[in-house]
Amino acid sequence: MLGVTFICFVIFRFTGDPSVIIAGQDATPAQVEEVRQAYGLDKPFYIQYVLWLSHAARGDFGRSFISRVPALGLILERLPATVELATTAVLLALSLGVFLGVVVSIRPRRWLSRLIMMSSLAGISTPTFLIGTLLIMVFAVELGILPPFGRGETVLLFHYWPTGFLTLSGLTHLVLPVLTLVGYQLAVLLRLTRAGMREVLGEEYIKTAWAKGLSRKRVVFKHALRNVLIPVVTMSGLMLGEILVFSIVTETIYQWPGMGNLLLTSIYESDQPVIVAYIMLASFIILTINVGVDILYALLNPKIRYD
Amino acid sequence: MRKRRMALLSGLLFACLLCASPTLAASTLILADDTPPTTMDPAADNSDSTCSVLVNVFDGLLAREGKEGKIVPGLAEKYEHPDALTWKFTLRQGVQFHNGTPLTSADVKFSFERLADPKLSKWLETGQAIASIETPDERTIIFKTKNPTPWFISNVHQLFIVSKKDVESRDAGDVGVKPMGTGPYKFVEWIKGSHLKFTANEAYWGGAPKIKQVELKIITEPATRFAALASGSVDLVSGLPLEMFEQIQQNPKLEILSRPSRRVIFLALGNKAGTPLADVRVRRAIYLAINEDEIIQKVMQGKASPAAQLADSASTGFNPTLKRLPFDPEKSKALLKEAGYEKGFEITLAGPNDRYVNDAKIAEAAVQYLNKVGIKAKLDVKPKAVFFPEVSSGDKFDFYLLSWLDGAYDSARGISTNLATYNKEKGWGGWNGARFSDPEIDALMDQAAVMVNLAERDKLLQKAHVVIQEKVPLIPLHCGIDLYGLVKDRGVKFTPRPERWLVYKEIEKN
Repeated sequence: MLGVTFICFVIFRFTGDPSVIIAGQDATPAQVEEVRQAYGLDKPFYIQYVLWLSHAARGDFGRSFISRVPALGLILERLPATVELATTAVLLALSLGVFLGVVVSIRPRRWLSRLIMMSSLAGISTPTFLIGTLLIMVFAVELGILPPFGRGETVLLFHYWPTGFLTLSGLTHLVLPVLTLVGYQLAVLLRLTRAGMREVLGEEYIKTAWAKGLSRKRVVFKHALRNVLIPVVTMSGLMLGEILVFSIVTETIYQWPGMGNLLLTSIYESDQPVIVAYIMLASFIILTINVGVDILYALLNPKIRYD
Repeated sequence: MRKRRMALLSGLLFACLLCASPTLAASTLILADDTPPTTMDPAADNSDSTCSVLVNVFDGLLAREGKEGKIVPGLAEKYEHPDALTWKFTLRQGVQFHNGTPLTSADVKFSFERLADPKLSKWLETGQAIASIETPDERTIIFKTKNPTPWFISNVHQLFIVSKKDVESRDAGDVGVKPMGTGPYKFVEWIKGSHLKFTANEAYWGGAPKIKQVELKIITEPATRFAALASGSVDLVSGLPLEMFEQIQQNPKLEILSRPSRRVIFLALGNKAGTPLADVRVRRAIYLAINEDEIIQKVMQGKASPAAQLADSASTGFNPTLKRLPFDPEKSKALLKEAGYEKGFEITLAGPNDRYVNDAKIAEAAVQYLNKVGIKAKLDVKPKAVFFPEVSSGDKFDFYLLSWLDGAYDSARGISTNLATYNKEKGWGGWNGARFSDPEIDALMDQAAVMVNLAERDKLLQKAHVVIQEKVPLIPLHCGIDLYGLVKDRGVKFTPRPERWLVYKEIEKN
């Protein structure tokens, strides 16, 4: 993560001087200089970096140049919206993907299976912004049955976490963005499960299981699927991380008040403290998820032990 | 089993129908805008997207009203201007902040002092123009400026007054997200990236506003803004996407309102010695080579009006008789030949690609026109966050696309910032990215700097615009059009304002 901070800093060093933008359109050159000093932007690069690092170690990631409030707070405020969207999408993709993957692998030649496989190909190859725009046009504008944007009403949980899960309006607002995100994830997980299942179903120990006269349910779910799940879980972990951190397109199309939306705005405004804090948080989230996935392995396959 | 599933499904569908067609009461107004405000602290931002929100929660000493932005009394019921440096305001009696504390001259003094703090303020030029602020009694404020500041009065409508006690009692972060002023609406909540809510201030000094609840949705994605309007989720949208104009026009449920934008799009030129641009004939040849009518028709789809000067019709100094030089490629070639550049020369046109309506496409078109008269023009467009600092650094470009809109309705600032010779002491040329320099324009700006009488000032600046056209430090292109969309059957009456602010007390809904 220290490496990440350094790379961030180097990049911003070369993307222009923010003091012009902070000072505003009408500021005179002398006033721009004054702003540069007030924000410490006139100091040499390495001093800026060390100062920032020592503050960051204490949890202070600086203030946004644009809204002038703490950068980390600005991001954390958006966290709940993104987490709810991402987890809903990944859980849906995971459960449906595994289920459909199993269905398809058991009866690969049925027309239903072929249909599912065909649509999964469409799911992988259609870009998110196209799915999003189409869904809005059909369900919100033409049919008028679902809201086109936003998060709807929220309820505050534990004085911090505003949730959209507990109101009808919150749930209906969730439908379209989740569908948009799920398309791709579902298709990938489905194909992964199917590939794994087809391989495992041909193995000797499965034949043994059949020969033992075990029920179909037991063979498929207990013996076969369990061994297929490891790559699937890894993949969904990666996906969760990816959606949490980079669901920028979907959040922008649906005006979802999440972190991706904030990142995009901050990049447009060249709001460096926010972007840097975001990247730090992103690397932290992805690291945590990877550790979480490793722990899950052990539960799925008792042979894996961490000493 | 199947029956039960069907029942569940239709139940869900019904629920969706219920919540997707909200019954919007006449006392609730839902608006959508394209750019989010960046802060709720009036000192910390000067962009119109922020002012557009804050003007509803706060008041300035004066205000601007309606279609033409006429100056009317605000928190001050009158003002005097006894000499060139002094501005004296008398506050209205009995004005209260939303928390019930009375407004005094100390609050005004505090609000203006905040503007001079470089850690806090985006109004540095205004804040630092003031030498001293005196408050002889509770209702009188006397400003002394360091130099004669002709635009002082035309700017105070956007300098909002905060409560000294309130701001001092909270930390800066809290002040930046929870505004508390004297305005017609009280702040309720701001969910960033989503919406803001306001409720009517029943004790407002100008009378309680009719619409009691206002919700402002911020939708940055153009297609979604259109969907919000077409689905009827909002009453009014500001910033309709140009590309969807036809679609909206064909929809019988929607109505379009438009108003010429105050923003002038232009191409700026340098005149550094040794470059082809140092010759005024070359600069004029570039001007004549560009077919602005075609840009308006093809690139702007007819939604723009040609601009002849660096000022819009609402600003002091706008010259109504000035016309654009007509498109004339033959004359352009002749001028190039006269200047010794018959075979053309190489030049790069820089510009932003994410700031103004179709900015990159306009630059692209301009480059093609220049190629037609034999100038080997290249294009260099980039995101504004990279482009703007490069412009203001002054050593990157000779030729670039930029735009100007003066919040203070005075065209002198546009000239001195964009075209006057770079001068740190005078505060000139901050956005003069090609470092254009001409003594005649500078002399006119010296005169304008001390000319406070509005009629004389208007005359002087009108003359300046004629001189600028002769010297061609810039090629004015056009003013865009601000587009608004209304849902017809909601009974919303709205008149677009020059600076695109949404002032809720001016909107009616029956």
